Amino acid sequence: MNRTKFLLGGLAVVAVLALSACTGGSGSGSGGSPCSELVFGGPPEFQTRADGLPGISKTYGCEFKDFRALDTGGPLTVKALQDGTIQAADLFTTDPAIADRGFVVLDDPKNSFAAQNVVPLINKAKATPDVAAALNSVSAKLTTDGLVQLNRALAAPDKPDVATVAKTWLVKNLLLTGATAPGVAGIIAVGSANFPENRVLAEIYAQVLELKGFTVTRRFGIGSREVYFPALKDGSIDLVPDYTGVLLKHIQKSAPQTGADEVYDALKTAVPEPLTVLERSAAEDKDAVVVTAATAQRYGRSLANYGAPK
Amino acid sequence: MNLVGQIVEWFANPHHWRGLGGVPVRLAQHLEYSVFALLVAAAIAVPLGAGVGHTRRGVFLIVGFANGLRALPELGLLTLLVLGVGIGLVPVVVALAVLGIPPLLAGTYAGIRNVDARVVDAARGMGMRERQVLFKVELPNALPLMLGGLRAAELQVIATAVVAAYVSFGGLGRYLIDGLATGDGAEQAAGAVLVVLLALAAEGLLVLLQRRLVSPGLRAEPIGPTGAQR
Repeated sequence: MNRTKFLLGGLAVVAVLALSACTGGSGSGSGGSPCSELVFGGPPEFQTRADGLPGISKTYGCEFKDFRALDTGGPLTVKALQDGTIQAADLFTTDPAIADRGFVVLDDPKNSFAAQNVVPLINKAKATPDVAAALNSVSAKLTTDGLVQLNRALAAPDKPDVATVAKTWLVKNLLLTGATAPGVAGIIAVGSANFPENRVLAEIYAQVLELKGFTVTRRFGIGSREVYFPALKDGSIDLVPDYTGVLLKHIQKSAPQTGADEVYDALKTAVPEPLTVLERSAAEDKDAVVVTAATAQRYGRSLANYGAPK
Repeated sequence: MNLVGQIVEWFANPHHWRGLGGVPVRLAQHLEYSVFALLVAAAIAVPLGAGVGHTRRGVFLIVGFANGLRALPELGLLTLLVLGVGIGLVPVVVALAVLGIPPLLAGTYAGIRNVDARVVDAARGMGMRERQVLFKVELPNALPLMLGGLRAAELQVIATAVVAAYVSFGGLGRYLIDGLATGDGAEQAAGAVLVVLLALAAEGLLVLLQRRLVSPGLRAEPIGPTGAQR
């Protein structure tokens, strides 16, 4: 019978596959630099996008040993960094997991990642001095660490709603003063993108405007900038909390600016009618190369120490 | 340019056929995850199904077990496993094996259960022990349904092995996940085409295997009283 032949053939296939499993997957390092010792994990597109690995390589001469495609600043990346599967990761600066797990955000002195300061994007017709003053008072108090705390509060086990978290923040930052009769100053439609941090920022804007006597319509959880940007232009919403870097790139795809002030200045001139941006906050939610405390102790806390000198 | 043209162009690009990210390597990785998962699934499902089919004990347990496994959401299960044990091939293979177990278990159990009772009686009458009844009579007779189960399992596992890419592994899923992340429609479509082709090729191979392995007596049209009953 041919049965034995078949079984032997099958076994051979399995053996070949097992062998290929053992030999695959070795990375190439540039030799010598700390980067060449580290396996990097991040979202799949990080390998090819301009401000991803190509940007880090160009700016700092940093070639990582290998790349593992994981999620976008999510639990898989955090887990992989913690258990040592990867030694450097792309996480967001406002992720509470960074402090919770003792990770270190590496400084990016040459701005390989563009600045991403929180900024109110608003319809000019609605940006009266009162409104601008109210929103600028929020921007003045926002910090990156404050965003981390907002995110941590939102992720708490009892899942508080954004209104509660926003109110707590406003009370803590002493912005809950000078309330007037609600609903007389005008109507403003506040929108947000569909991730928790952006919702809570929009809610903070909304509450601060309500305190100034505006009636606020909330349009939270709009899918993406591709949807809410046209909605702002056609006036179906009036105000959205946005981030300077990505907003500039959305308007001018090839914008070269990366520093906080340059990006903001470019943004102010680039924003099309009838929109405008108010004052930017110091708070930044952007990609960052994150390492474990042990790695930071060994090689330093700045990306500039990680690449090979050119 | 239309999508078909883009897919053809993608396949024509020699860059996509070389190196660690090339089609041959991705195909081999995809097959590797699938074959490991099917081996693990078979190692669990076949003995279990054979035992239950032969003894007729615990039927309700395995039916509940198999149906419960079917209901598990694959991506959620994989993420949970990775968060539990860390990134590695084990969570991938386990998550895929979970998909392969129900059809293999059902096929084996149903195959043995449906062996003509008179044939089994005759085997016992000839003085065969229970072991011999199982291995020499029931299992060979159950082979068509067992291989049917294997084909169903193979199809599911190969189609779903793309999830390995979600947790940083290779395989054809890389084209889907990376293409999605970079907005490259042609890459995604090419990956999908490759998965379909691989699943169909494996299906064809198993059909051939089925023809070779199954006893000619089982393949022939039933005659006599058995046929008349149908």
